[in-house]
Amino acid sequence: MTKRELREQARAHRLALEAAEAARTTRRRRFSILGAALAAAIAVIVVAALVSTNSNSDAAPSGDLVRSTVVDGVPERNGVLGDPNAPVTVTEYVDLQCPVCAEASKTALPALINDYVKTGKVKLELRTMHFLGPDSVKSARVAAGAQQQNKLWSFVETFYANQGTENSGYATDEFLRDVATTAGVDADAALDYADTDASEQALTKANQAAQAIGADSTPTFTITQDGQEKVLLVGAGDVSAELEKAL
Amino acid sequence: MISRVAAIVVAVAGLAIATYLTIVHYAGGEPVCAIAHGCATVQKSSYAEFAGVPVALLGLLGYVAILGSLLKDTETTRSITALLALCGLAFSAWLTYVEIWELEAICIWCVGSAICMALLAALATTRLLRAPAH
Repeated sequence: MTKRELREQARAHRLALEAAEAARTTRRRRFSILGAALAAAIAVIVVAALVSTNSNSDAAPSGDLVRSTVVDGVPERNGVLGDPNAPVTVTEYVDLQCPVCAEASKTALPALINDYVKTGKVKLELRTMHFLGPDSVKSARVAAGAQQQNKLWSFVETFYANQGTENSGYATDEFLRDVATTAGVDADAALDYADTDASEQALTKANQAAQAIGADSTPTFTITQDGQEKVLLVGAGDVSAELEKAL
Repeated sequence: MISRVAAIVVAVAGLAIATYLTIVHYAGGEPVCAIAHGCATVQKSSYAEFAGVPVALLGLLGYVAILGSLLKDTETTRSITALLALCGLAFSAWLTYVEIWELEAICIWCVGSAICMALLAALATTRLLRAPAH
């Protein structure tokens, strides 16, 4: 081996060592970055645990139920609330278990009923969807039973006034019976009707109507004027304001 | 390169989920919830907001930040992606714990987002470690 070759070999060796050292350094640096990231991740969990306050209580309704008075004094015929000849129809797509629907019935419905339904400008219809769980299905069927007695709205509003935690199993036959009785519905008749095929049809009809208008979350309010139905509002917002704009 | 493209795809999916949940949160509606039916329970619970900020919005911002870090392919951006994704994964893990043990309700959208975050954390970590040294 010549001197030159020896020099080059030594140089190559040195470069290889340097490269290996650099790779080691990079690797060490990357592991310490990941270590820091892991520490940050653990800090995130600790902060999350400290900041979150557990205020979630299993709010299963108990004792005497509250009767909703929001539809008192408004005539209902076949699920239609208000003057059947009112020129405009507002339809609410709901799920009885949906907490936002219960909120809307407290915050939005009273003004809507007082200002528009009682004055004969608007009639209200209701479509009970039932996508949240088995309790929604049973409740919607009993609601169909209440509709047979022209008490759909009383039943639904009283249900909302006593709504429990979604899918916690509170909507038992006994609960539904209590809601019906509190709302002035013949509970036996409504629950019997809930077991019939006819009540199933009411649910299917609600689903088809929801699909047709594209209502895929609850509550959805729609407005029907001159035979044209369109979505007015989704959620528990100010229905009256939206309605005023649409009229 | 492949892991970067994969990370971008997963981050976009996570961003889509977080955007949907944020919109639903502010619209006050209820998410369409298939398979497991706990979305509204989760979205309406006290855990849906974190120090006054909706967790859906936090997720959205997280995914945007991760996408931002994926725009360039340098040692620094790779490190940032890994940091963000690991912290995101930790937060998702915490939220999933809350869903299962505290709320006893599963929100399928949130699970989807948690899976996206887990994938991102795995991709970002391997991407950082496997990148050529310089």
